[in-house]
Amino acid sequence: MYAAASGMAAAQQTLDVVADNLANADVTGFKSDVAAFAALGGNASLGTTEIGTHLLFTQGKLVRTGGPFDVAIDGAGFFQVERGGCRAFTRAGAFSRARDGSLQDADGWKLDGVRIPEAATRVDVAADGRVTVEVAAKPRSAGRIQLVAFVAPEHLRQVDSAIFAATEASGAPHTIPAGGDRQPKIAFGTLEKSNVSIVESMMAILAAQRAYEANAKGVQAADEMLRIANNIHRG
Amino acid sequence: MDGIALMATAMRAAQERLDVSAANLANVSSNGFHKRLTRARLTAGGLETETSLDPAQGPLRRTGRAFDLAVAGAGTFSVREHDGRVAAERSGSFFRDAAGHLNDERGRTLLGQHGPLAVGAGATIDPSGVVHDGGAVAGRMEMSAGASLASGFLEGSNVDAVHEMIDVLDAQRAFETAQKALGAIDETRNKDANDVARVRS
Repeated sequence: MYAAASGMAAAQQTLDVVADNLANADVTGFKSDVAAFAALGGNASLGTTEIGTHLLFTQGKLVRTGGPFDVAIDGAGFFQVERGGCRAFTRAGAFSRARDGSLQDADGWKLDGVRIPEAATRVDVAADGRVTVEVAAKPRSAGRIQLVAFVAPEHLRQVDSAIFAATEASGAPHTIPAGGDRQPKIAFGTLEKSNVSIVESMMAILAAQRAYEANAKGVQAADEMLRIANNIHRG
Repeated sequence: MDGIALMATAMRAAQERLDVSAANLANVSSNGFHKRLTRARLTAGGLETETSLDPAQGPLRRTGRAFDLAVAGAGTFSVREHDGRVAAERSGSFFRDAAGHLNDERGRTLLGQHGPLAVGAGATIDPSGVVHDGGAVAGRMEMSAGASLASGFLEGSNVDAVHEMIDVLDAQRAFETAQKALGAIDETRNKDANDVARVRS
């Protein structure tokens, strides 16, 4: 009975994770969560248990937006952002220019290393992150977007939908050496959509629902058997 | 063997079948899980249940993560447990740690032919288990002969929920039947003892 109950709990946890993914399917730079389960207790039949969830950092679709300061990462890596002395990392690049010239997202997370002068007319971001602006019809450097990577990005802590903080397990951020063949590129004027697949999420929901029902049947059957055992004496 | 004792072992066998089926059902979404099969056997001590592992391949599911590994077809690869033992594994989600070693969710380390594999973030693993990193060969996984590896895939559980549910119901009915038979034997004995030889007063 408890084995079946653990299966119901697992189906419920799966539903929670999938529902959270679906809720964020439209959030720029969101990365889906995956829950993993394993059998409990070797050869004995004890049921199942969650062995952890991890973030899935597959590439989201890049969509051309034309926003003046929209940037997306094509490849692995993160933007470094900061708010109130708190350092975080994100792949959501929907920035806009704040009054002090820095680039910030809607929640006030400030992108490192870039200052856009007030008089700037045209802004361009190269694939390697160099930002150039045009001031009085003359090109000028406005800083560089430095991407960082992690040894184990799966273990980053989610601060907000698409904002992550480093943890001991993820390791410290390190800059990505230039010139490698897997060097991430910065795509200017585009945004990265979430990597949630609606179709796959729907299938996962159906599967979890069925698993829940099947395990509920298991609990019922075990309960029924106990009832029958209780009635042995009455035949 | 006494009928009541025999029926009691039949009830216990049905219970064990239910336990196994329920545990199989509970693991319908555990990656790499292989279900246990039960088989009842009539012995001098009544019905006995034997269980065995179903070796059938689970469905290979695409995940897109380079370090999600599954063996397609027969065979296994090697991981090292916490206590240093080497275990054979068929599928797992591996994550790089600070040393570049690949560990799964339970902290088991992926083994190459010369101890734990150390790989870079962009490494890829080909079907024969050779690790390529930046155009060079970075190592070779320890695998059983002839095994073919799928990188970016996980092996799903080989539990079929419908089949398992039917087994649960079947076990429940078998339990009920044995209980009814036990009751009938009990009833007969009751008659034997109290009615057949009743002395009218």
